[in-house]
Amino acid sequence: MKLLLAEDEPDVQLIARLSLKKAGFTVVTVASGVEVLRRVVEERPDAILLDWMMPDMDGYETCRRLKADPATASIPVIFLTARVQEAELARAMALGAVGCIGKPFDALTLGKQVLELLGSR
Amino acid sequence: MTIRNRIFTVVGVVLAAAYLQTLIVLQVENRRSAAADALDRAIWRIAKQAELGRVIVELDALERGYAAAGRHADGADHDRLWGLYERATALLPESLDAPGSKRELAAIDALMREWRAAPPGPDRARLMGRVRAEFDRLETLERGRLGDDRIKVNSQSLQSTLLTLGIPAVAIVMLLGLVAFVARILLDPLKAIAASARKISAGNFDVSLPKESKDEIGDLVRAFREMITAVQRRQREVTEAFARERQQSEISAALRVKAEREHQRLQATIETVPVGLLIVDAETGRIVLQNRAAGLFIGHEPRDDAERDAYWRAFTVTTRDGTAVDVRTWGAERVLQGQAIVGEELVVTHPERREMPILVSAAPLREDDGRISGGVVAFQDITSLYEVDRLKTEFVSIVSHELRTPLTSIKGALQLLIDEGIAADPDHTMLMSVALSNTERLVRIINDILDISKIEAGKLELNVRPHAAAEVVKQSLQNVEPIAQGALVTLGADIEPGVPEVQVDLDRVIQAIMNLLSNALKVAPPHSEVTLAARRAGDFVAFSVTDRGKGIPQDKIGLLFQKFQQLDGASTRKARGTGLGLAIVKALVEMQGGRVSVDSTVGQGSTFTVTVPVAR
Repeated sequence: MKLLLAEDEPDVQLIARLSLKKAGFTVVTVASGVEVLRRVVEERPDAILLDWMMPDMDGYETCRRLKADPATASIPVIFLTARVQEAELARAMALGAVGCIGKPFDALTLGKQVLELLGSR
Repeated sequence: MTIRNRIFTVVGVVLAAAYLQTLIVLQVENRRSAAADALDRAIWRIAKQAELGRVIVELDALERGYAAAGRHADGADHDRLWGLYERATALLPESLDAPGSKRELAAIDALMREWRAAPPGPDRARLMGRVRAEFDRLETLERGRLGDDRIKVNSQSLQSTLLTLGIPAVAIVMLLGLVAFVARILLDPLKAIAASARKISAGNFDVSLPKESKDEIGDLVRAFREMITAVQRRQREVTEAFARERQQSEISAALRVKAEREHQRLQATIETVPVGLLIVDAETGRIVLQNRAAGLFIGHEPRDDAERDAYWRAFTVTTRDGTAVDVRTWGAERVLQGQAIVGEELVVTHPERREMPILVSAAPLREDDGRISGGVVAFQDITSLYEVDRLKTEFVSIVSHELRTPLTSIKGALQLLIDEGIAADPDHTMLMSVALSNTERLVRIINDILDISKIEAGKLELNVRPHAAAEVVKQSLQNVEPIAQGALVTLGADIEPGVPEVQVDLDRVIQAIMNLLSNALKVAPPHSEVTLAARRAGDFVAFSVTDRGKGIPQDKIGLLFQKFQQLDGASTRKARGTGLGLAIVKALVEMQGGRVSVDSTVGQGSTFTVTVPVAR
């Protein structure tokens, strides 16, 4: 299963990549929302993990654009966020995201959480 | 005796004396007049007597003349003379009242009649001689009497003169006496009283008054003395009253000074405080007093009513939830009914300034009779508080985010390393586990801080709906299972059959119960059991977490739910928490309409109970 991971923080990106790789995912990493929109078409991931806060274009805006584009609207989006706030979660869900994973995530169960969220769709 | 009587008496005496004097004068005058009459009669008698004597002498001379002529007296002459004699003697007897004189006259008459009858001759001459002798005696006698009468008249005149001169003198003396008497009994006391009155007028009450006699003056003196006493008493009263008044006025002056000073202090305080203060009149709704801070904030309302309305309309005022209000009527109703407004927030937009949140308090002002005459309003610009609050939220948010990012890396790296089992030395694995558990603890602390700040900011939104109590128990236990395994503690569930659904935010109620469970697991001895029970309690369902730990002393229970309180924190490493757990539990449960309670026995363990409402 191919995941597009958007995370601007290199260390977090590394941990997440290793954790997901260990869980059996193929991981493509990018560092911004702009990159997500650029790479999503060529990579055709099964799911996208979006950091909520990123420079240039944040996760929310990225998600909105992904869902607005019929070519990418069907790709499930999972948010990674340090702000576990109900309002944000609600906004994300309203955009069509499948869920949120809070930071700091559990490196040993991150893959499992992603699968659970995708399965619950 | 009264003075009236005395004066009557004295005047009576004087009048009686005058009357007596008059009587005496009249008496003396009578006597003098009688003596004068007697003298007149004596003179007249002497004259008549002389006439008789002359008749007798003429008779004798006629006799002798005829005898010398040798003839006998012519009868006609003789008869004429005899007629004279008869007339003289007829008149005399009534005036010759002295007995001797009468006798002499009788003798003379007898001799004359004998002489007339006697024939001429020597007998007749002898008879005539005897007559002449008798007449001489009579004359001598009468002349003596005349002298006596004269002496008597003179004496009477002298007496009369003396009386005439003496009586007025006596009258003058008596009048003087009368005046002196009146002066003594009337004027002297009056003068003394007048002098006393003058002394009293001058303020000197040390006066000597006349003796209190039993008369009008005595009455006057007594009345005067009473008046002095009364005046003195009144003066004393007036003096005392004046002294009291003065004392009062000194006190009130001192009070006034004090009040003035207090007022100045208060004024200075009112002017200095950075809080806007207004006093609004209940009747007119006008601002009757405002301090400097209020002036800086709202300016000064115009005097004119129309301008005033326009002035106030220029302000936009809303409550914190955005409802527009008329600031002039807002709160007026409550204040006029005697209620106080304590710290309510309004957002005011001044026409020329930025939006400003204010905190308003107001209280009624009452008159002495309890009538509410207005209200005092205090308001404070809380822009800075808003700013601080915003900064705090922002800070917490940033900190939590900024801390989470590196912690995510550290935690993940450690987890992956431990999972790989790459450490050559078991000690290294242990050290990495320490690093991991502390990282996790740091994450919990951040989460707790975030939670409590959200709760305190009122920004925690709850998603309350009905949930099965069993679900709450199951999920709560599931979440702490790994910790229980690590602590070698058994978890037990005790769900009362038929326990109803609860009206809660599932995540938050589980968070609260998990907090209690993890606390219980921290204190529970190895191989003991921690149970989570669910029972109905009236309109509530009670979730109780029971451990077999050391228990909590009664005096520490009150501290349990306060922030950053840790009981026995340093005793065991695994017991360390954030000190926020129970405070969060309490806040979360109370937000959902529930309560938290503790029942603990030292040495036996504790039971923490969360009650939440039954779903309807």
